[in-house]
Amino acid sequence: MGSTEDFRNATKTAAIKCDPEEFGPNFKVLPSNDQVKELQTILRDKTTTRSDFKFYADRLIRLVVEESLNQLPFSPCSVVTPTGAVYEGLQYKRGNVGVSIVRSGEAMEQGLRDCCRSIRIGKILVESDAETHQAKVVYARFPEDIAARRVLLMYPIMSSGNTVIKAVQILKDHGVPEDSIILSNLFSTPFAVRAITSAFPKMIILTSELHQIAPNHFGQKYFGTD
Amino acid sequence: MEFNLQVSLHAPVAILVTLVNKLIDFLNLATKSANQVSMPRRRCPSVADVVRPQNFRSSSSIPNELEHLNLSSIFPALRTTEGMAANLQTTFEPPSSASSASSISDSSDLGDVGQNEFFYGCHELPASPPQSPRPQSRTSIKSPRTARKRTTSVNLSHKKTSAESVLRSHKRTIYTAGRPPWYNSDGDYVRPFIIGICGGSASGKTTVATKIIEELDIHWVTLLSMDSFYKVLNEEQHKKSALNEYNFDHPDAFDFDLLLQTLQRLKDGKNVNVPVYNFVTHTRESKTKTMYGANVIIFEGILGFYNKEVLKMLDLKIFVDTDADVRLARRLQRDIVARGRDLDGVLKQYCTMVKPAFTHYIAPAMVHADIIVPRGGENEVAIALIVQHVHTQLQLRGFKVREQLALAYNGQPLPTSLFQLPETPQIKGLHTFIRNKDTPRDEFIFYSKRLIRLVIEYALSLLPFEERTIETPQGQIYEGKRCASDKICGVSILRAGETMEQAVRDVCKDIRIGKILIQTNRESGEPELFYLRLPKDIKDYKVILMDATVATGAAAMMAIRVLLDHDVPEENILVVSLLMAESGVHTIAYAFPQVRIVTSAIDPEINEKFYVLPGIGNFGDRYFGTEPTDSS
Repeated sequence: MGSTEDFRNATKTAAIKCDPEEFGPNFKVLPSNDQVKELQTILRDKTTTRSDFKFYADRLIRLVVEESLNQLPFSPCSVVTPTGAVYEGLQYKRGNVGVSIVRSGEAMEQGLRDCCRSIRIGKILVESDAETHQAKVVYARFPEDIAARRVLLMYPIMSSGNTVIKAVQILKDHGVPEDSIILSNLFSTPFAVRAITSAFPKMIILTSELHQIAPNHFGQKYFGTD
Repeated sequence: MEFNLQVSLHAPVAILVTLVNKLIDFLNLATKSANQVSMPRRRCPSVADVVRPQNFRSSSSIPNELEHLNLSSIFPALRTTEGMAANLQTTFEPPSSASSASSISDSSDLGDVGQNEFFYGCHELPASPPQSPRPQSRTSIKSPRTARKRTTSVNLSHKKTSAESVLRSHKRTIYTAGRPPWYNSDGDYVRPFIIGICGGSASGKTTVATKIIEELDIHWVTLLSMDSFYKVLNEEQHKKSALNEYNFDHPDAFDFDLLLQTLQRLKDGKNVNVPVYNFVTHTRESKTKTMYGANVIIFEGILGFYNKEVLKMLDLKIFVDTDADVRLARRLQRDIVARGRDLDGVLKQYCTMVKPAFTHYIAPAMVHADIIVPRGGENEVAIALIVQHVHTQLQLRGFKVREQLALAYNGQPLPTSLFQLPETPQIKGLHTFIRNKDTPRDEFIFYSKRLIRLVIEYALSLLPFEERTIETPQGQIYEGKRCASDKICGVSILRAGETMEQAVRDVCKDIRIGKILIQTNRESGEPELFYLRLPKDIKDYKVILMDATVATGAAAMMAIRVLLDHDVPEENILVVSLLMAESGVHTIAYAFPQVRIVTSAIDPEINEKFYVLPGIGNFGDRYFGTEPTDSS
């Protein structure tokens, strides 16, 4: 998790609310309702047990993944129902790939698999240098034809955005166009969103909550390494 | 069964002999005093007939001592007619293999007069001195009274006093399950028809009730017996009852308050917990029997017309008037053969309590009756008349729902209690998969599961939430929300609703799930309730009622009605389904405006088979793979 002086300053002004509109049309927040709010509350509560944490995290992930899939392109199509009537439906285009950022992004893989049974999944490992706090890609593995696919990039927590910026950079290096990337995220700070949208304005970002402070314990608690 | 065997092994000879003698005495007395029309004169049966009731033949292994028993020594009345005695013995020699099981279980059905026939002629036997040198000791030793007591309750519990799911008659099997709509098309509760049956002890009330149910040919009838409402006895009373001195026929022996309460709830269509009375310990068992109001409720009991409040509730009052001798004969048979009591006790009880109670409390109640049925269950004319009357009454109350539902509410704006999921491309895409008739089953299941999950998540967001402030591991305060109620339960409407259960379990840990089976009657096209299992305290829960598709809304309405009958507040019910027809939405919303309706799609039409158009087809069949093979 990269952290800079700027970021520390930003968190001090946590009380300041920010408007999701300022990040442009490619930044989307999961339509919130009481149910989503409850999930977020449980995940942020420090008294939540690990088993509850994983259970509710998986639920929220599922909702975010479903919403991310809504960002994929589709075409109209009509089918015949068993009653013999015609239903005007729509069809999703093939050629998608999921990419998770190790380690916390992997928590979202199951959610994606539950929605798309045989989707290909690539991985990126980003680590921050202990001295410079600079994020750096250590490992990346993708399907060969990733450049021709739409990429669902999964990373649940963004506080500074550095990790994601590096990951998108590596995707672009593999020839993936910026507008083919959809970033699925659970919690992000305005600071991170600002950093990412200014770096990659054409990328679609979906999060469930925009808040000054991100629950940085997510990966530790989800995988039980705290 | 155990008990039957015991009787047939040891006691029958002694008991029967005693019985015959006593009966002769008693009937002579009774006929004089009772001032009844004299018994029809029948052919005096041979002794062989007399001694050949089933329980005699029942044992396939009568012990040797019994076989060689000199019957004439203990049966002096018969000694004179040696031919008969010989005849008697021959009935023993090749012990008939007639199964004891069937014969006795029949005899517990008090209505079968034919079995009792051998009593009729008894008083025509040569009058014999009652003080015969019968081996009294033998009777008392060989009749294991204590051992029998335990079986008494077993026998009683088999009595058809409570609503069983299946009622068998000699002609056919009637299911008292499968409840047709008990509300009209506005979802309002329609008052049931309550039939009260009163009559002396062993007059054949149950038989009349059973015959009525049989002839009515409707599938859901509740049969409530007054026997369930005996008061709990204290120790002293218990002792008295063991000596046959406790008066079970007096109005004070019944808990009329509880009876009234129960009857009122049944009349209101609510479920009731009817106590199960244990006739051995004379207490109520901890387990109660749950009954539901039905279109027809039959209430029977010896003092059924005694209480004025109860009397007011009855729509039709039937008095079963059976000859006193016949009743006594049946009672003797029931108490001695089926319940294992001894003759002296039974007669003492009859003379000191049963008969006076009949004269004082039961017979006068006849004036309240609308119909008096002489001869009980065999009176077919009377039963036919009663059934005709009940049918007319039911029709007047308008129990015909589905067709009315399908035609109403065309082209009206959708109700405010409807919550449709935002139609995102994903949801539309999922619908495209599951509506396509060519979708293979694995894909159908996969995509419907995804859709179900979304619908359930959406439904949960409609529950009440409250503000909650929590502390995060980052040390900061977070204003969040938590669900205001932790009592949420799912209820699925079989079979298609069950497909949604897993999704509910996936989102709510340890959720309780109830089930309701509603089937469409193929002849009438009406929904019928067949099975019901709900969490005990369901009234305290928010209920997510699940059905995959809602067409006319008839099944969903019935399920909602069931929940309301279990005291679930209307606003606590969420009907959740994948696909609804517009008319179904209107129907539910109109009948139950506070029930919230959640669905992922609304289709405009319903076809003549009540399928939604364009629809999904039969969701349950496609999900479970039970669609008929001829469909292309």
